[in-house]
Amino acid sequence: MNETSISIEGVSLCYRLAKQRIPSLKEYAIHFLRGSLSYEQLWALRDISLTVRRGETIGIVGRNGAGKSSLLKVISRVLKPTQGRAEVTGRLAPILELGTGFDYELTGIENIYLNALLLGHSRREIDSKMEEIIDFSGLGDFVRSPIRNYSSGMLARLGFSVATAWVPDVLILDEVLAVGDASFTDKCEQRIARFHDAGSTVLLVSHNTKAISDNCTRCIWLDAGQLRADGETEKVLDLYLHAGTDPDQRAGGQLHLS
Amino acid sequence: MTELYNYRDLIVALVARDLKVRYKRSAIGFVWTMLQPLLMMLVFEIVFSSVFRFKMEVGNYAVYALSGVLFWNFFSQSIVASMNSLRGNAGLLKKLPVPREVFPLATVISGVLNLVFALIPLFLILVVTRHPLTPALLFLPVAIFLAALFTLGAGLLLSPLAVFFSDTVELVGVLLTALMYLTPVIYPKEIVPEKYLWIVRYNPLRSILETFRDPIHQGEIPPLSHLSVCAAIAVAVFILGAWVFRKTSDRIPFYI
Repeated sequence: MNETSISIEGVSLCYRLAKQRIPSLKEYAIHFLRGSLSYEQLWALRDISLTVRRGETIGIVGRNGAGKSSLLKVISRVLKPTQGRAEVTGRLAPILELGTGFDYELTGIENIYLNALLLGHSRREIDSKMEEIIDFSGLGDFVRSPIRNYSSGMLARLGFSVATAWVPDVLILDEVLAVGDASFTDKCEQRIARFHDAGSTVLLVSHNTKAISDNCTRCIWLDAGQLRADGETEKVLDLYLHAGTDPDQRAGGQLHLS
Repeated sequence: MTELYNYRDLIVALVARDLKVRYKRSAIGFVWTMLQPLLMMLVFEIVFSSVFRFKMEVGNYAVYALSGVLFWNFFSQSIVASMNSLRGNAGLLKKLPVPREVFPLATVISGVLNLVFALIPLFLILVVTRHPLTPALLFLPVAIFLAALFTLGAGLLLSPLAVFFSDTVELVGVLLTALMYLTPVIYPKEIVPEKYLWIVRYNPLRSILETFRDPIHQGEIPPLSHLSVCAAIAVAVFILGAWVFRKTSDRIPFYI
């Protein structure tokens, strides 16, 4: 169990924001001709290095804007890092948001297909898991009606059921356990525990420190795009929670003008 | 490429959804696709054939104009839809590692299928107007393939641009209108004055269009010299588009 599952080396991520908003070609041309194109650089991640072994369950904590979601997006291969390298071994199940790509005019079953196809599964794979997905969601006959009639809890159930129907090598969860009722959250946690037993690596972002300390053996604290602490969950959470009362702490990434 | 192959079922589903939406929207659905070209032809016949008297130059003007317009609709609608395909899936592209070229690709495939459906009323008109049906018609799949390659290239080229600059869609809309008048879609190229003939001659779209239209209207496969130019244009535009898309696609989630 000592194989490397996620390897991150010197990753920095920069969002380049135009100082003057330049949403159009016309304005771009004007600014370009004047030589007045300038950008603000928002570094969401700064020189992060991290190695995750196969089978670890890691919690990620930090304030809003600390770079947690950016880090998960880099690991999920949604965003390419500005500098550095991020490598993941094996099949990835990134759940950055439940039900990404749901079409509200389609029924629950049709959305299971659409969602799973977007996650890269084939139609045949989906067919063989369909019954299990519907079962786990606990939506019963509702899966046959358009999801525009669903409550947000029901949507979350459907989204989680699809995204976790296959045992991944790396599971990435961005604050998705907060929705849904207590019994479903329990079910989700059981499923995550089962993945863990099966050898999956799990990354969990949450503001609920109890969820982190219950599920994770290792924890990472991100602050202003930098790695502040990485280690045993209890110790890192302790540091993080005490820093939280410090009024000098800034929220948000570091803003640098170029 | 292998990644695209892994997502083939997604591409099929996106195409199916696109067609379903298109045909579900109107009450008579699929029939409308059949009816629209027929009505359009009626208009051309009255306005251009009778009023402008284009008939002399091109023989069966109805077939000439209709095949031109079907090609043009495929091209312009696919371009605009490709540009919207990335922007329309913004939420998705920011949250999932889906290969981004899936969206323009699915758009062009559904455009091709629409073009194929629209050939049915076109053939109906061929029969009704007693236009000779020649073996050259069997060349159409190749012609459509070249047109699709060209269009996909243009779509891949323009769709990232539409993400970075939101006025691209409007700008391209205007350019497409201009381009339609610079291409002999509904007028015979014989009426173009000598001094402007070079515009028509060096217009790459004219080459693609004629490869599609000649088998239908003239009943003959274009000469090899023409075909090789057409294929070269289609391949070049496709390679250029694919290259630009590859170069820029990593930036797409940042701007969308």
